[in-house]
Amino acid sequence: MSSRVLSFSLRLAGTFAAQEDCFLYLQQGELLLGLFGEGGPQCWAAWSVPTVRSGWIQGLRSLAQHPCALHFLADSGAVDTIFSLQGDPSLFVASAASQLLVHTLALSMQAGATGCSGLWDGVWPACAQKIMGHLEESLQSTAAPQVTQALNVLTSTFGRCHSPWTETLWGQLCPLVARLLERTPIPAAHSLVDLLLSVARSPALSSSHGRLWEAVAQALRCLSPMQAGSLALGMLKLPHCPQALRVQAFGVLLQPLACVVKATAQAPGPPGCSMWPPGWLDGAEGSSLTVDTLLSSKSACVGILCQTLAQLEELQPLPQRPAPWPQEPLLGAAVTILRLCHGSATSSSSGGGRLCATLAGCVRVQRAALDFLGTLSQETRSQELEKEVFAVLSEYLGSPDSSPTVLKKAFQTTLRWLLSSPRTPGCPDLGPQPLLFLRELFPVLQKRLCSPSWEVRDSVLEFLTQLSRHWGGQADFRRALLASEVPTLTQQLLQDPESYVRASAVAAAGQLSSRGLQAAPDSPEHPQAQQGLLGELLCILSTDSEGFPRRAVVQVFTEWLRDGHADVARDTEWFIATVLQVVSQDLDWEVRVQGLELAQVFLVQRLGQPRCPYMVALPEAASATPIPEVLQSLCRLRLFDFAFRALLDCDRPVAQKACELLLFLKDKTAMCGGLQEAGDIPGSASGQVTLQRWRAGEQGQLPGDLQPEAMLALLRSTDLEGLQARLAQSSDHMEKSPQSLLQDMLATVGVLGENEADCY
Amino acid sequence: MLDCGMHMGFNDDRRFPDFSYITQNGRLTDFLDCVIISHFHLDHCGALPYFSEMVGYDGPIYMTHPTQAICPILLEDYRKIAVDKKGEANFFTSQMIKDCMKKVVAVHLHQTVQVDDELEIKAYYAGHVLGAAMFQIKVGSESVVYTGDYNMTPDRHLGAAWIDRCRPNLLITESTYATTIRDSKRCRERDFLKKVHETVERGGKVLIPVFALGRAQELCILLETFWERMNLKVPIYFSTGLTEKANHYYKLFITWTNQKIRKTFVQRNMFEFKHIKAFDRAFADNPGPMVVFATPGMLHAGQSLQIFRKWAGNEKNMVIMPGYCVQGTVGHKILSGQRKLEMEGRQVLEVKMQVEYMSFSAHADAKGIMQLVGQAEPENVLLVHGEAKKMEFLRQKIEQEFRVSCYMPANGETVTLPTSPNIPVGISLGLLKREMAQGLLPETKKPRLLHGTLIMKDSNLRLVSSEQALKELGLAEHQLRFTCRVHLQDTRKEQETALRVYSHLKSTSLMAR
Repeated sequence: MSSRVLSFSLRLAGTFAAQEDCFLYLQQGELLLGLFGEGGPQCWAAWSVPTVRSGWIQGLRSLAQHPCALHFLADSGAVDTIFSLQGDPSLFVASAASQLLVHTLALSMQAGATGCSGLWDGVWPACAQKIMGHLEESLQSTAAPQVTQALNVLTSTFGRCHSPWTETLWGQLCPLVARLLERTPIPAAHSLVDLLLSVARSPALSSSHGRLWEAVAQALRCLSPMQAGSLALGMLKLPHCPQALRVQAFGVLLQPLACVVKATAQAPGPPGCSMWPPGWLDGAEGSSLTVDTLLSSKSACVGILCQTLAQLEELQPLPQRPAPWPQEPLLGAAVTILRLCHGSATSSSSGGGRLCATLAGCVRVQRAALDFLGTLSQETRSQELEKEVFAVLSEYLGSPDSSPTVLKKAFQTTLRWLLSSPRTPGCPDLGPQPLLFLRELFPVLQKRLCSPSWEVRDSVLEFLTQLSRHWGGQADFRRALLASEVPTLTQQLLQDPESYVRASAVAAAGQLSSRGLQAAPDSPEHPQAQQGLLGELLCILSTDSEGFPRRAVVQVFTEWLRDGHADVARDTEWFIATVLQVVSQDLDWEVRVQGLELAQVFLVQRLGQPRCPYMVALPEAASATPIPEVLQSLCRLRLFDFAFRALLDCDRPVAQKACELLLFLKDKTAMCGGLQEAGDIPGSASGQVTLQRWRAGEQGQLPGDLQPEAMLALLRSTDLEGLQARLAQSSDHMEKSPQSLLQDMLATVGVLGENEADCY
Repeated sequence: MLDCGMHMGFNDDRRFPDFSYITQNGRLTDFLDCVIISHFHLDHCGALPYFSEMVGYDGPIYMTHPTQAICPILLEDYRKIAVDKKGEANFFTSQMIKDCMKKVVAVHLHQTVQVDDELEIKAYYAGHVLGAAMFQIKVGSESVVYTGDYNMTPDRHLGAAWIDRCRPNLLITESTYATTIRDSKRCRERDFLKKVHETVERGGKVLIPVFALGRAQELCILLETFWERMNLKVPIYFSTGLTEKANHYYKLFITWTNQKIRKTFVQRNMFEFKHIKAFDRAFADNPGPMVVFATPGMLHAGQSLQIFRKWAGNEKNMVIMPGYCVQGTVGHKILSGQRKLEMEGRQVLEVKMQVEYMSFSAHADAKGIMQLVGQAEPENVLLVHGEAKKMEFLRQKIEQEFRVSCYMPANGETVTLPTSPNIPVGISLGLLKREMAQGLLPETKKPRLLHGTLIMKDSNLRLVSSEQALKELGLAEHQLRFTCRVHLQDTRKEQETALRVYSHLKSTSLMAR
């Protein structure tokens, strides 16, 4: 028998046996013993195939639902097989075996609960006893894999079961766990941390916390800094962690940064580096473990710094983070680390010198430190430190050694610091530090916009778009930007060979233009600028071979229309008609969807916001333009033509969007015009015919001279609501229909043999 | 992590790997030094944006330059299918694909890249598709070669895979065609040309849905040569924008194509075709025969689907699918034999045109895999990317022929390999001098045993004399003397007995000599 069939049979038998009566029936025929008992599949040759072992466990997992099953598990020897499968070479089998033990233990305890209260009477049922015995034995084992397995089972148990018995379980096993911490080296440290956190989070263990906190404190002392870090973070996230433990845990997280600062203290570091809050580092100050780790090897040093920075970054925004938050020393440490990586910090001490050598040019630490620095922008800061931060950011942005990934982070961090920079209340001007920084920033941006790496050019453009979105109205920013070559370079990047960059350039140029910050149009050396950005964007929309820039153009146009951009406002109808005509020819469905979005914004501007279905009907505020006039213009712009064609688009999202737009129109025009039948209106019948032809995939156009009445009639006679409901279902609903499934199955048996093998 | 692909057959969670097996609580970046992508096919890179932007991996991603250029095109295409056809909202976005691509570090062939102090990687040419590479991964004296997908026979536009005799501890090789010795490519090409020719001869239109890059170029070269030889006049078209894009990449990466293309490139660019012209959507309605290459390859959207809808009703026409199609796409449906297609619940399209499937994939067959194993001379081989039954056959063959261990682990299974790594040990000058003083001069070819005390400090190993070890470690010297008390029963005097024992021992030792 093939192993797949065997595996399926085991799972199937398990599924049947999940019902107690079925179980009894199968047991009578001794089928269950043959399949899951000691003399079962373990003796077969196929047992060596992981699929079979996996099927066996899944079968047992389905079967283990009732007390009869528990007896069977304990008596048939199945539990012993599960124990051994915890160490299976297949990850999936080992993991499933561990989960099955957790399930069996919980089920056994549940079944053991007596009385109508369902409370546990303190006696361990046979099956649970067996598992407990195994766990105790494993925890005392000298083999690390066995300890790991036991710890994993316990972690899942405390994570999932919150019944009173888990407290007794912990009480019984706690001493064994504590003894693990006394061994050198500590076995299965990762799993041990997971277990301690799982127990600490369990709501059922309120009265046994005393012993837990002791174990945690011991673990924080004995574990290596890497392992202790995740335990410390987990503890600090707990709402009910005792203060002493919080202090100890936070000390563990701060220790690596404090060591770096201390080792490089002679370096011209920022002031305030050594002002760690009193108390936090008391317990850990003497710990040479962290220093040893930091200095032992490059990979250890990088590993611990990256982890610590990421953990502190995670902790910073949490309400339960330690207070007072040591903002200044942390900022100082982040700046020092960035300087060490950049090579701009030196140290005469031997430890500092080794750190300098280890961290120089280390991209991983640079990225982690920049991320952390970005998070710290959300806190208050002194002017002096802010100056340090901007100085180090400046170094990174300007350095030729910064890798593209680091530069991207540096730009993101810079943006966060600039936008969160404090301003004098009531004064629109920027603070002194950002102002100074801006002067240095634009020459750097200019240089970076010409970078040979597309990643860098793109990151700069993204940064520029964001910054001008927030600061476009800010006088100092405008002055600095306009005095630079940045707007001109941005416009030049509309022709970049990389499509991602072209798309970002479109977004940036669009943003600059809406803020009146575009490149000077009268400069004779830029012929593109003279034809105007609108012309250039239209050109990109109709000719660019890639979807991203075209999508970006329509997004910019939509924004311009919303904001009443001058180029659009000059002749909005021409603008809409031109854009829609180009968009309707586009092969990228996302461009067409965005074209419909643009049309919708236009309609809302003309006809007012869509009505809220739950709102009490109030007398309609007079819309900007009378409806018949709007309809007339829609016909002129061929907007109806565009929307109806999109309604039959072979790409679902386009049809959905078109449907939404036409429903909006239908709703807005419901009270307008005579209620003539569709057939009575000239042009309406031919419109229907055209729709039919489109539906059949043929070419053709709606009559160009269609009157608003004909359009309205067409709108009313089309079942838009029905269509919307059909479109709301993904095309998967066809795949899931029995007929489709059958066809696929039949096809797979025959034709697709080679196709499958030839997949890719 | 080697490759980060997706399963094309699933639409749910199962399509991406379960990354929680790497770590459940920790950050992925702390557990992985880097990700290496072998080539741009989705089963090797499809989960990359999900992994880096949604699961949260923030480290470096290595791939070759062509893969870096082409990978985002395929990912974008895949995203569009998922969002369009399946209506999935919680899927990676274009921005995520871009952000993911920004984490990529592109590598050149045969360039040794130092990932960190310990880990280095090196790419070798793999054939298969433009930019496909095999990677050698080295830590200290131990190394692994991962082949990705490869092809040991050159095709019309790419060369054959090649690797030097790097003798890795482990070779991880694909085994798609583990048992097959593939029929000659010529047969398949002839079959393809015959079908196209017959259809246009009887006035039909041929649609070949393709992805922008890959098989498309090979088929174009094939048709172009055939048209030239047969002096055919029937027009051949290529989707708008496609030719330029493909040309751009092939020009950019000309060194990655086969020798013939590279040689003739100066006189004639093989990717600038005489008979193949750019397609305009209005051409689809033209009467008479024609051949059109249109994107995308699975008939799921865009131009290829539009043309298909127009031509499907005519039995004279033909659609040739040169690659795999994902379930749910029109391509998959017609390959499964469906003749009536429900187009988005609004209309039924009857397919009367002929539907053909032609395999042009470029994997190494059994012969090719054996050839590669012979070339690299690994200590162990591990088979992946194939079917268990076929792999078993290949496994036995490899073990017999090369006398190396060959493994074929199931998904999730751990394989443990014994290796004997070289650990460098520094020898103290004092110890060396003492050896020299004994008059034994070192010989390079003859290994010699040297006695001393091994000290491990700051992960450095040194061999020193025991006196120096004691001094360095600040330990006092202890001497252990082993004594043994034997009870003898002899009536003679004590001294006499001692003498007898002594002379007995002496004679025994003389005899032993």
